[in-house]
Amino acid sequence: MDWGFIIDHTLTAFVGLDAVVFVLAALGLNVQFGYAGLLNFGQAAFMAAGAYGLGMSANYWGVSWWFGILFGLAYATVLAVIVGIPTLRLRADYLAIVTIALAELVRLIVRSVTHKEKFGGSDGLKGFADGFQKLNPMDSAGTPYGIGPFQVHGSMVIVAAVFWIALSGVIGLAVARRWVTRRERGTVRTTAAVASVVTLGASLVLCSRVQILGAQLWTLMVGWVLAALCALFVWALMRSPWGRVIKGVREDEDAVRSLGKNVFGYKMSSLVIGAVLGMLAGFVFALKNSNVQPDNYSRAVTFYVMTALVLGGLATVVGSIVGPMLFWALLAFTDVFLGELADAQGRISVFGVEVLRDASAVLQFRLMLVGIALILLMVYRPQGIFGSRKEMALDGR
Amino acid sequence: MTSRIRHLATLALALVAAAGLLWSSPAHAADTCDVAGIKVLVKDQSGPKKVPVEGVIAVVKDEAGAEVGRGTTDAKGVALICVPTKSTFTIEIDQASLKPGMALAGESTATVTESSFTTATKTMSFFTGVAERSGDGYWSLLVKAIVNGIRLGMVIAICSVGLSLIFGTTGLTNFAHGELVTFGGLVAHLLSVTWGVPFLLSAVLTIGLGGMLGLGLNSGVWGPLRKKGIGLISQMVVSVGLSIILVNLYLMRFGGTTKRYQAYNDQVAMEWGPIQITPRDLTTTIISLIVLVALALVLQKSRLGKATRAVSDNAELASSTGIDSEKIIRVVWFLGGSLAALGGIIRGLDEGVKADMGGQLLFLMFAGITLGGLGSAYGALVGGFVVGLFVEVSTMGIPAFPSIPFLTWIKDGVPTELKTVPALAALILILLLRPQGILGRKERVG
Repeated sequence: MDWGFIIDHTLTAFVGLDAVVFVLAALGLNVQFGYAGLLNFGQAAFMAAGAYGLGMSANYWGVSWWFGILFGLAYATVLAVIVGIPTLRLRADYLAIVTIALAELVRLIVRSVTHKEKFGGSDGLKGFADGFQKLNPMDSAGTPYGIGPFQVHGSMVIVAAVFWIALSGVIGLAVARRWVTRRERGTVRTTAAVASVVTLGASLVLCSRVQILGAQLWTLMVGWVLAALCALFVWALMRSPWGRVIKGVREDEDAVRSLGKNVFGYKMSSLVIGAVLGMLAGFVFALKNSNVQPDNYSRAVTFYVMTALVLGGLATVVGSIVGPMLFWALLAFTDVFLGELADAQGRISVFGVEVLRDASAVLQFRLMLVGIALILLMVYRPQGIFGSRKEMALDGR
Repeated sequence: MTSRIRHLATLALALVAAAGLLWSSPAHAADTCDVAGIKVLVKDQSGPKKVPVEGVIAVVKDEAGAEVGRGTTDAKGVALICVPTKSTFTIEIDQASLKPGMALAGESTATVTESSFTTATKTMSFFTGVAERSGDGYWSLLVKAIVNGIRLGMVIAICSVGLSLIFGTTGLTNFAHGELVTFGGLVAHLLSVTWGVPFLLSAVLTIGLGGMLGLGLNSGVWGPLRKKGIGLISQMVVSVGLSIILVNLYLMRFGGTTKRYQAYNDQVAMEWGPIQITPRDLTTTIISLIVLVALALVLQKSRLGKATRAVSDNAELASSTGIDSEKIIRVVWFLGGSLAALGGIIRGLDEGVKADMGGQLLFLMFAGITLGGLGSAYGALVGGFVVGLFVEVSTMGIPAFPSIPFLTWIKDGVPTELKTVPALAALILILLLRPQGILGRKERVG
């Protein structure tokens, strides 16, 4: 068993592009589900909006990829309003039903033969990311870059340092906030500092192993900057009066209504904000793959984002950052760990008894673990790692 | 009590009768080869319906061009030619054996490869004559769409009764209900094809197992969660987790491909005027109808059915009148699981079985029960039926409708691959206009 290989893979996934995509999507779901209590099971549809907006800007309309963001934005907003109008006055399950249907139908439409010239059918779209890669200041073909703080070439040192210090600071603060009571201000500060230093140290040691090609690193950096900005936005939003009302809507809609607030409007705006964040996730997803494929936006994707979010902690910003990172690290870990256990045919046997038939069975087994994790989290720790249990006492409205 | 037994007995009798029909349906010729065989099917498509062509000689050659075997089509247009291995063969139709004035519509040769033998017998179809679409005029296509719609509607209705009753009695919107449907389709395939159990026996066993699965899920997952006081929204997320687990379990066991049952394939359609239907599809339609009517009767008349509706309407009130609501919930889960399994088998006979077949139906089921009224059993029956019919008929369009940009679907019909899209539009419209559904009680649901 090659533990070095396993650690490298796990760490790459921890900060990798899949994690960025899920952070953005989870932030969106968090605005909807965590803060406003709106159960959106169709985040994949909004992710597809961003991805196809980008893909079609170059392939179908023949305009710069920058317009893709605008198209995605408009499309995601329209979709959110369409599903929001009939369902937001009703019980939570109606929104869940309509969004899950929407995601499935968006996928069916973009992969249909009827609209192949627009959406590229089941092959999807590609060749739209060239404009984005042209802006890449890094050497996209040469030696891989390290993302550990001591490995970055040239001026990227500063960017990497800022990223790592900011990330460890946020994690440290969140750890302190979560596990130390508010009254002991001094303790909070000490714990935060200790946790940040520990995180930073761990990242120094561990991430020095991770190597990423220049082309990917460019997308990765843009993705993380976008994710950081969005996280900051959500954090600020939830501290604002608007955020307090939204949390009130989640706790008791009628109480908020009796204060003269337009509950429908608040719910709708939270749905739209979440959809736009999901759209950005799809945007990064498309840049990551340099292609857009309809089956990447199946309803399973929404469920995995949901799992990652619940793992991190609903109704916390840090939860929707760390949750997806951990989610992908764990998925990658099980992947390479089981891969090391498997024989040449990809079979895994325990004491001579064949348990998993081949590589695809291993994948399905890992995804089953995701489902099990989602159930166990929902039942035994609905607040995830960083959430507060009090906030997660959702009732069946 | 006696009335319940009587109803169940009637249901059983009806099922046996319908099963008899399935038995007596025309079986195809005694066609077995030791290793593998190629079944050549020749039909004439120049008339309004395809007719088998008799006396056509088909020659099968191997890769080297040497003749492996030849056969002459019988009255059903079928010639079975046994081959020694599942490998690459060329099938050639002897054009001289065609009747004067008859010509093949396409190539006179065709090639099969080893991988195209999904079962021991590979069927290759050839057609003579030019297809004349006049027989497929608008009205006959409409009739066909309606027939398909009735069949799809019944499957959706059968599958969604459980979903709606579970919602009514426990408040849970079960996003894993599609996986119960898949369970039926896949287990029936496992029993009948892999293990060689006779199809009807395996269908009955599967329905029982589906019920047990429902019961097991209730006592293993949902019962404890209810007792623990987990909120309904959290329960919905749990059902999503369950759906992920089950789908991947199915994928692991059965792979991602579509598989077919071996029983009742290749049947010749019967005709009554414009209606064409194979004996198999007719039988499943009759079985579905009997099940739906029996279900409605049981819910309406029997003590258990009344108790179920009472719990579904108002669980506290029902409990206070002495109804054991946990027992009713167990019954509902058993019923829901077995009906979903039945729906899965019928769907599997139509479209083949696949690990995500139920997941694809889920949204139509939701549309159906929303239309009928969430939690209402009759609503699920009616709503599911209407949605299925609507989905199939929406492919037809209204030729008289003027061409308006963005509304071309109304005129030309929805492309078949997108026929579920109007169901979403319908779902949104229902929620806008009448969120409680057709048969739901008017209450504040927001």
